[in-house]
Amino acid sequence: MDPLLEVKGLSVRFAGIPALENVSFTIEKEAIIAVIGPNGSGKTTLLKAILGLVPYEGEIRLFARPVRQVLPQVGYVPQRFAFDPSFPLTVEEFINLTCRTPEKLPVHGALDEVGMGEFKGKLIGELSGGQLQRVLLAHALLHRPRILFLDEATSGIDIEGQGDFYSTIQRLNREHGVTVLMVSHEISMVYKFTDRIICLNRDLVSHGETRSALTAEVLRKLYGENADFKAHGHEAVPQRPGAGHGERHG
Amino acid sequence: MKPSRSAPAPGTGNAMAELLQLPFMQRALLAGLVLGVLLSYLGIFVTLRRMAFFSDGIAHAALAGAAIGLLTRFSPLLSALAFSMVLAAMVYWLEKKSPLSSDAIIGILFTSGMALGVVLISLRPGYQPELIGYLFGNILAIRLQDLALITALAAAILAFIAVNKRKLTLLALDREMACMAGINPDFYELLLYIVLACALVLGIRILGVILVSALLITPVSTARLFSRSFRALAWWTVLLAEFTMLAGVLLSYFLDLPTGAVIVLTGSALFSLIFIGVALRQRFARHPACSKEKKAQRPVR
Repeated sequence: MDPLLEVKGLSVRFAGIPALENVSFTIEKEAIIAVIGPNGSGKTTLLKAILGLVPYEGEIRLFARPVRQVLPQVGYVPQRFAFDPSFPLTVEEFINLTCRTPEKLPVHGALDEVGMGEFKGKLIGELSGGQLQRVLLAHALLHRPRILFLDEATSGIDIEGQGDFYSTIQRLNREHGVTVLMVSHEISMVYKFTDRIICLNRDLVSHGETRSALTAEVLRKLYGENADFKAHGHEAVPQRPGAGHGERHG
Repeated sequence: MKPSRSAPAPGTGNAMAELLQLPFMQRALLAGLVLGVLLSYLGIFVTLRRMAFFSDGIAHAALAGAAIGLLTRFSPLLSALAFSMVLAAMVYWLEKKSPLSSDAIIGILFTSGMALGVVLISLRPGYQPELIGYLFGNILAIRLQDLALITALAAAILAFIAVNKRKLTLLALDREMACMAGINPDFYELLLYIVLACALVLGIRILGVILVSALLITPVSTARLFSRSFRALAWWTVLLAEFTMLAGVLLSYFLDLPTGAVIVLTGSALFSLIFIGVALRQRFARHPACSKEKKAQRPVR
């Protein structure tokens, strides 16, 4: 059987400076996969290269085809929405104006799916960070994608909002079989909610099942000597440096 | 230069009705209404993409195109159209290929175009009334062939916008999301630049290179003060532009003032009034005595 996503010898350079070097991995089956690494490690670049948003060297195949050919089966939630928040655009208008037609899921269905059904008449600029990310997720879900790419989709969202967001992602994966590839800095959330992990630091440091691949040694390779596991209840939860405050652990 | 006024004296009973029967006034109002729709609607994309400086730059640089037309005795409007479309494509290309910021590129091309226009016009001996016309506009001097060209091109541009509204909106909102939706962002960006340059040159006949950006920016900025949806914004933008245009042309005629400037000042006055109105409404809405919630919380005596 063809792998779901195949990345071979991927390298990306910006003005001659390497952002990713010779990264190769495959994703065989539906799962929630996290991409982690320190700032500047190439996480967002990896996502953008897969989606064809930056030029790259190497080979990337999604569902055994070049990504541009399967874009309708792909959903994407960007790290930041480069949109003027004072512009008067309602949630419903945003989704209607920006979706491909005909969408497979009704607009209200997509909003209900992410718990934003009652916000369809609200202005985009009046939403909180968490609500906006949910709307972007609803937008990404309109065409029932087989794979979702999330680029630090929970950055700037409070702890409760993050938990809700990850629960929604988990439900989409379990109930609808959507594969999720997400960049995240929230190591404890990654540990709790993801099945597999890709650890980057310009090149591939480690990848595999989250619980086995995310070791203290890998964390130290990525984040330095201060990163470690922290005992929490009955479980050891990995911590990146400075992440000890305010994170909710399982 | 205004056409000679064989019109009735303002203030007489049928002054308005008779004024509207004058061919030059009919052409002026028709051109104004068509360009009001076109420029104000394009203004939505311009403000969303923060392209106000691009619009101003292209309009100013179009003077060189008009000057080439005047010098070669070719149509100044057509030569300005061709020149500004080439310039818009050049801005786009330089934005992609050079390390300079968009503002710097537009700044260089805008001043160069304007300077070239002044030099070319100075090559013609004697007083240059056309120069004043292109600098400040002269809607009352629009000829039938100008009106036909303006209407045909405006219809084509509006049709383009209607067909590509979703793509242009998504591109204006977020380039990456546009890519992901299968839109070719480079192609549609270039088209928007060219279409915008074309619309601006058409608008120069009314407001001139110095004032034309006002019609692009002011109506949409006024509508943004109170609109609560994109749909409402689009309707209010166009309605405000049409009102501004009509009121501006008629006021300028009756007050015997330069038409382009009066149109711009009418739009600015409307913006100021609505800005103050919205600010006062928000102030009173926040005032404890006017707050519905507070009123509801007051004990019943």
